[in-house]
Amino acid sequence: MELTVAHNICKNNLSGTREESVKQNLNLTGVEINYPYKIKEIDTEDDNMKEFLFALGCYEGEKATVISILAENYVINVKDARYSINEELAKAILV
Amino acid sequence: MRIALAGNPNSGKTTLFNAITGKIEYVGNWPGVTIARKEGDVKKALNKGGSKIRVIDLPGAYSLSPFTTEENITSEFVKNENPDVIINIIDVTNLSRSLFFTTQLLELGIPLVIALNKSDLLKKKGIVVNSLVLEKQLGCPVMETASTTGSGLLELIEQAKIVYGKTQSAPFTGYSKSASGQAADDKLKHERFAFVNQLVKEVEMRKVASSKQTIQDTADRIIANKILGIPIFGAIIYLVFSLSQTYLGPLFADYLVGWIDTLYDYTEGLMGAEVSPVLSSLLLDGIIGGVGAVMGFLPLIMVLFFLLALLEDSGYMARVAVVMDRYLKKVGLSGKSIIPMVIGTGCAIPGVMATRTIRDERQRRTTAMLTPFMPCGAKLPVIALFAGVFFSDAAWVGTSMYFVAILVIVVGALIVQRITNEGPSKSYFIMELPDYRLPSLKRALISMMSRAQAFIIRAATIILVCNAAVHIMQTFTWSFQVVEPGMENSSILASISSPFALLFIPLGFGVWQLAAAAIAGFIAKENVIGALAVVYGLTNFIDTEEFELVAGAGDVASVMGLTSVAALAYLMFNLFTPPCFAAIGAMNAEMDSKRWLWAGIGFQLGVGYTLAYFVYQFGTLITTGSLGAGVIPGLAGIAAFFSIIAYLIRRNDQKLRHDLKEAV
Repeated sequence: MELTVAHNICKNNLSGTREESVKQNLNLTGVEINYPYKIKEIDTEDDNMKEFLFALGCYEGEKATVISILAENYVINVKDARYSINEELAKAILV
Repeated sequence: MRIALAGNPNSGKTTLFNAITGKIEYVGNWPGVTIARKEGDVKKALNKGGSKIRVIDLPGAYSLSPFTTEENITSEFVKNENPDVIINIIDVTNLSRSLFFTTQLLELGIPLVIALNKSDLLKKKGIVVNSLVLEKQLGCPVMETASTTGSGLLELIEQAKIVYGKTQSAPFTGYSKSASGQAADDKLKHERFAFVNQLVKEVEMRKVASSKQTIQDTADRIIANKILGIPIFGAIIYLVFSLSQTYLGPLFADYLVGWIDTLYDYTEGLMGAEVSPVLSSLLLDGIIGGVGAVMGFLPLIMVLFFLLALLEDSGYMARVAVVMDRYLKKVGLSGKSIIPMVIGTGCAIPGVMATRTIRDERQRRTTAMLTPFMPCGAKLPVIALFAGVFFSDAAWVGTSMYFVAILVIVVGALIVQRITNEGPSKSYFIMELPDYRLPSLKRALISMMSRAQAFIIRAATIILVCNAAVHIMQTFTWSFQVVEPGMENSSILASISSPFALLFIPLGFGVWQLAAAAIAGFIAKENVIGALAVVYGLTNFIDTEEFELVAGAGDVASVMGLTSVAALAYLMFNLFTPPCFAAIGAMNAEMDSKRWLWAGIGFQLGVGYTLAYFVYQFGTLITTGSLGAGVIPGLAGIAAFFSIIAYLIRRNDQKLRHDLKEAV
């Protein structure tokens, strides 16, 4: 995975594209722990889930922090609450 | 006057509801415990001299746009059923999220009172909230409460009375009905949260940001650890079992059984010789003996429920869902499926009902089909009896039954997935992690007492009637003659259950007495115990002389004429066949499909039979060196069951391939 990211960064640098991080597809599975990231996009076709995440305050512009990684689940902090989300959902939260 | 309680999941609505109505509705420290609305009246102590106030507790919701069925209940209620006042319960340690829902509720025009609940946690978490500013900005009364201690509740009810009949204005002015469409909705949502964010900035002071690591997070990393998660869960369940079935439970059971014996003797003496022997036997052996045998297990169940309530209160259950999610995902379920199963350890009916919190229809139906495999409170006496009679280490058997149940559920889910799979799809899992807390002994006691009460009521009604019926059917022949001694096989009961007994020969318990008890178990699982006591003429299963469960185990075992292996097979059969009729009714309601229901019942029957067969046959092979009776016919039945499954899986695979081709 790290290789893919590195590869993308190289590619982006070469082509000098603007939407760097969107193309890099950086999501909550690839971020540093304990560091708040600004959410760029919720990348899912499941509109209900998007709406639900919104009600929790998990939407573009808000911050999300990964607290710990447990097996295939991620404990994240959004607003003032802790949630456990699975890898698929963590991948859908682009930062 | 009608007051609706609304708020985010796990903000303490039901605890507050119980505190103001004096009711004992089921609470747990995880989101999504309440799945249907509950009603009650404000108790006298909090409503001095006032007229009746009805309170409606609603399932938790994060917003008025419903996500799951139970959130829908809340949204429908506040929009359509015109409550006079809404009490919006807010977890005060999580204002920044909760107020989103609050601003939506304020727009309904219904007078609103805010309960800033869990205010006792503010100091500990280093948070200061200025409720006066909040009150001014929102335009509604804001009261600080702590439903676990009861502080602020009187004032809360007083405020509800004051606002009753008034109108409510909405503080969030970005609301405009003129614009419509997706873009306008989106804009509105964002503005709403911006309003909330600004408000929180004004009223809340945090010494420590909530995103900082805490000791709770460290605990999570151990408790929900990739490797340690399952062993920790196992150890906790084992501890619960050994306390309830080996140590504390039997200690209390001893007294109870002593009293039941006294009652038996007293009644016997009271009736004297004049009462007809048939009638006195019905009363003594049928009713007191049968019900008494079930009641004897009450203390064990009470200890177990007490310990489970402590666990539920501690916040551990949400972590179990996290630990289990990765395994359940592989078999097409979600981590949320574990919640119905955990609730199902008390009773399968609320367990099956709790599947409502699962959004995906296929996952919901599969969970409703598999939840009854979890050993419920009514199955516990059956486990305790067989563990005590046939195995010396009761806690070990009880714990392993839970793990067998989990295994059956996992394999079952895998099979159901292979049959009903609709192709690859994304499965998201999200669950709020509540804070760990020191469980309250008082709440656990209350929960235990309410479950014990339900157990006693069942024993005194349905179990009593069934045992009397079993006893009567055993006493008489079809021509209503009393069965002659030595001619027990001519009784009504024997002739009804004998054909079933034939089916059970390959499972090692092909005698009509055991078949009759298993059949009685479909009405209520406790009946298995009661019916065994009646058909074998045993008065109680718990030894009164020594502090242990069934010390005369050898006697009970010899009366039943079962080997340990056959007993284990019989136990498995009773645990893993379809649940009682009431639970099947709940399955019917939640699955909402006759096809799923019948498939579910058929599957449960097949699983129970198959497990019992292999336990008996392999066990007999290991212990005696040869296979048990009826190997071939039993195998034929199981082969038929498996071929149906294989056929259904192949049919689905073909359908999937067909779909794939069409898609290409």
